[in-house]
Amino acid sequence: MGEHANIIPTEEAMPERGRDIPQIVPLVDIYENDDEILLFADMPGVDKNDITINIDNGTLSLEGIRTMQNSGAVQWEEFGDTAYKRSFSVPQTIDVAKVNAEMKEGVLRLHLPKSEAAKPRQIEIRTA
Amino acid sequence: MLMHLQDFDKMFNAMDLLQRRLLATPSGYETGRPALSAWNMPQAGPSTNLYDKGENLEMTIEVPGMGKDDLNIKIQGNYLEVSGKKEPDTPEGYSAHRVERGTTAFTRSFTLPAEVDSSKVEARLTNGLLTLILPKAEAAKPKQITIS
Repeated sequence: MGEHANIIPTEEAMPERGRDIPQIVPLVDIYENDDEILLFADMPGVDKNDITINIDNGTLSLEGIRTMQNSGAVQWEEFGDTAYKRSFSVPQTIDVAKVNAEMKEGVLRLHLPKSEAAKPRQIEIRTA
Repeated sequence: MLMHLQDFDKMFNAMDLLQRRLLATPSGYETGRPALSAWNMPQAGPSTNLYDKGENLEMTIEVPGMGKDDLNIKIQGNYLEVSGKKEPDTPEGYSAHRVERGTTAFTRSFTLPAEVDSSKVEARLTNGLLTLILPKAEAAKPKQITIS
């Protein structure tokens, strides 16, 4: 019985698994047109509240945490708690204030609009 | 002690083989996905988990980017087959920088550890994870036996 008393406090001292979560680089698709850069990232099982997107000094970093609530006897387990992490260099021409993201079916869609100055412009030639 | 040169060669060959295995970075390392399974076959289809909860079995499957219309589930006895295909979501008029996600179709079949009552199976799709709740057939359910 004395042994049990020792074991329980140690479990309580580590309520979070923190750094134990394995990191996965999510697969992405990146598209671009004249107005924006569009990024898709596969993050199955991640809630939209558990995603952080940071744009700082030309670096875009994505992080999504997946926590699984599983119970029962494991028959097989091919995935579990995961931290999806990936960072990209983004051009300075991105209008950071207008960046928006949506999450659908485990896929993150990130719209990175280009600032007005960076959009290609057609220049008309006037006849003198 | 006498040894044939051949014996040395055999030993070194085995060491070379082990070293190659150790140094070879699996191609799935970067993505964290096990690209090669124990049998050196590429993993077919998405990752799955299976839990036994006594009364029912619960399976979760990673299906990012698939809607409920893209998925098909078939059950017969203890045989389960899940198939799905991902519609390409490539937007019109965009040029591609990176295409890693691809548009794939998969079929994965499983032999469940118990017979399943196929009429009571429940399937849910949340955040790209498909959860199947598979109630065990009456014969396969755990039973409490009272000692008379």
